Amino acid sequence: MKTLANKRLYLILTVLVVGGSLAALVFSSFTGALVYFHTPTEAVAKQRELDGKKIRVGGMVQAGSLAREAGTLKIRFLVTDGNAQIPVRYDGMVPDLFREGQGVVVEGTWKSGQDFSADTILAKHSEDYVPVEMSEQGIAKSKESLLKSLK
Amino acid sequence: MWIEIAHFSTLIALMLAALLLIAPLIGVRWQRVVWIRVARQAAFMICALLTLASAGLIASFLNHDFSVKYVAEHASLKLPVFYLATAMWGGHEGSLLLWTWMLSLFVAIAAWKHWKTHPVSMPWVLSINGGLLLGFLLLVVFLSSPFERLLSPPADGRDLNPLLQDPGMVFHPPFLYMGYVGFAIPYAFAMAALITSQGDSEWILATRRWTLFSWAMLTIGIVFGAYWAYYELGWGGYWAWDPVENASFMPWLTGLAFLHSVMVQERRRMFKTWNLFLIITTFALSLLGTFLVRSGVLSSVHAFATDPGRGVYILIFMSALLLFSFGLLTAKSDQLRETPQLESPWSKEFSFLINNLFLVAGACTVLLGTLYPLAIETLSTAKVSVGAPYYNKVFIPIMLGMLALMGLGPLIPWQRASLAKLRQEFLPAGIIGLLGMVVAPLIGINHLSGAIATGLILFVGTTHLTDLLRNTKTRMSRESLTAPGAFLRLVTRNKRRYGGMLVHLGTLVMVAGFVGSGLFQEERDLFLAKGDSMRIGSWSLTLESMEKTARRNWQADEAVIRAERPGEATLTLRPQKRVYSENSQPTTEAAIHSSWREDLYVVLGDGVKDGVWAFRIYRTPLVAWIWVGSGIMVVGVFWAMLQGRRLQRRAP
Repeated sequence: MKTLANKRLYLILTVLVVGGSLAALVFSSFTGALVYFHTPTEAVAKQRELDGKKIRVGGMVQAGSLAREAGTLKIRFLVTDGNAQIPVRYDGMVPDLFREGQGVVVEGTWKSGQDFSADTILAKHSEDYVPVEMSEQGIAKSKESLLKSLK
Repeated sequence: MWIEIAHFSTLIALMLAALLLIAPLIGVRWQRVVWIRVARQAAFMICALLTLASAGLIASFLNHDFSVKYVAEHASLKLPVFYLATAMWGGHEGSLLLWTWMLSLFVAIAAWKHWKTHPVSMPWVLSINGGLLLGFLLLVVFLSSPFERLLSPPADGRDLNPLLQDPGMVFHPPFLYMGYVGFAIPYAFAMAALITSQGDSEWILATRRWTLFSWAMLTIGIVFGAYWAYYELGWGGYWAWDPVENASFMPWLTGLAFLHSVMVQERRRMFKTWNLFLIITTFALSLLGTFLVRSGVLSSVHAFATDPGRGVYILIFMSALLLFSFGLLTAKSDQLRETPQLESPWSKEFSFLINNLFLVAGACTVLLGTLYPLAIETLSTAKVSVGAPYYNKVFIPIMLGMLALMGLGPLIPWQRASLAKLRQEFLPAGIIGLLGMVVAPLIGINHLSGAIATGLILFVGTTHLTDLLRNTKTRMSRESLTAPGAFLRLVTRNKRRYGGMLVHLGTLVMVAGFVGSGLFQEERDLFLAKGDSMRIGSWSLTLESMEKTARRNWQADEAVIRAERPGEATLTLRPQKRVYSENSQPTTEAAIHSSWREDLYVVLGDGVKDGVWAFRIYRTPLVAWIWVGSGIMVVGVFWAMLQGRRLQRRAP
């Protein structure tokens, strides 16, 4: 009888250890993986706090601000919400819908005193990826909500 | 005209759905079979009416009836016929109708197939599905109607989103929905078993084919989506842990857990409550998937809130379903006492238990990552996204753990095994696996997880082959057959077991694809002018010329690129940048050369100045293995489905 109880204990312990380590894995990975979204105004206001953290900034590519370094794919542009502006650098090919005067979300880090260094640029295109937004209506809606959130 | 027929038949279907919900309850309460017969006829009628409704909507598309709002928003005169017909599910209103039509079809099939065999469950199965149909039809008719007319119809429609004008995207939603909807039938049987206090294994046997079918459809749907993302979106990848992908992945994971754990209930009469929990969860996640994708909540919680009727309705529907299901499970769980208990960690049932832990942890991981941003956005003004690194960090260990368990699968016995026996069984496979891990870095797999995966693939392959060889040999000697004859006899006698093993082998092929494409992708961004060359891997690419092409509803810039590799015929790749005439939205068409070794993937970017164009070029090893592996998996599932209901059952 005792051996049976021991066995049960052993089994339950195994399950707990496996389950516990899985839970630990999930939560430890989760806390570091959150990327917060900011408008340029917020990002400028909280710049010290955000220094070096991975964040997303969304706004419009300011018209006339897009400059390309000759012979490379390096670009520099301003992301604006009509109130504050953030200079952004990116090296690579931009998505189809990336244009001056269009909505954009950039993901990367912003070290104080430097340009925002983007590793990813999301234009409307990559959000479209979501089938619900694939209707024109959806695009209009998400644009609307972006504009709203910018206000 | 057609749209009125469609609208009208949907309204009648709605009323019949109410009947389908109530009639069986009356029949059971007052012991009148006629009411249950009525319900069964209602189920058939609903199916016929919704078939007509879907046909009516499709006919409106084919007739370019732009007075129908939904048609005007998702089609145009220039849209080719194939996309016209399939534009029916190009937006959420039509998709919900398609979903509901599929549910009605499956309910009708269930009412027809299980009528004689499951008389006790049948009223409840009908009634529960009546409730589901009613819920969806209310949504289709009142909150998300594809039948709305426009007072002043436009001359031409707004066209289908260009990204959807692609065969991959045409077939992705229907397969996914078949998977989602298919789980409604096992769910209803499970609930019926609980209500009628037959919580035993009958419902599992009855719905075995339904669950296998649904899971296979879900697999096909997910892979179609991944394949579409790979060749249509032009970012060189196939899986981005996007909320939409996650939504379909969650029921896939719990469904997979269910497929494994039911075997324990069949064999050992254990995990009864757990299996009910899993099927409820799987169906609830299927609904969540449908709603997440089709409600607009993902684009923005705030955009969703602008249409509060639909949002509130969906929340109430989901809550009602969860309350009903889990309430019932809690109320009835005391009669699900399990007599046998787990005896040893060295047993098949225990390995299934750990397998379920892994899969459910995977589903929780995805659920957390998908819903957390929504919760944060709802509760505060902050917006947050959960990046791919989170999922990769969790899923790589989960996948490796699953592989290890999969290797144990065929050779570990039920109940308990002696350690000496196990050592003997797993020694060769273990040695081969470890050797694989050690050798992997020497042949260029210089990644820890990649090397471990390689070793595990070999381990799993070896245990599966061992099992096949041994059982073939047994049959050869016992039934004096030739080797191929014995092998054939083996895999046709127990289709379920060997179908399952084929699924495992398909998984190995897929994992090899994940390792190759995930860890060893090479990516280059650069400018090319006419005549310029570049090298990637052993390939040498030259931009020959830039051309302009056009089709009916788009025009494009096209690059002509010559790709050469020593010892192989020269290829021409033609990546395009298209502009569709209706909405002037540019889309990229990547040019892909696929082979078993690697894919060469060329994306055309913007033209910078006088004939200089930006290109992004990927070399991705083993991507094709993912598609092939998933094909093998699906064949395996269908093979397992061919197994008749009578399984040879040995006493435990």
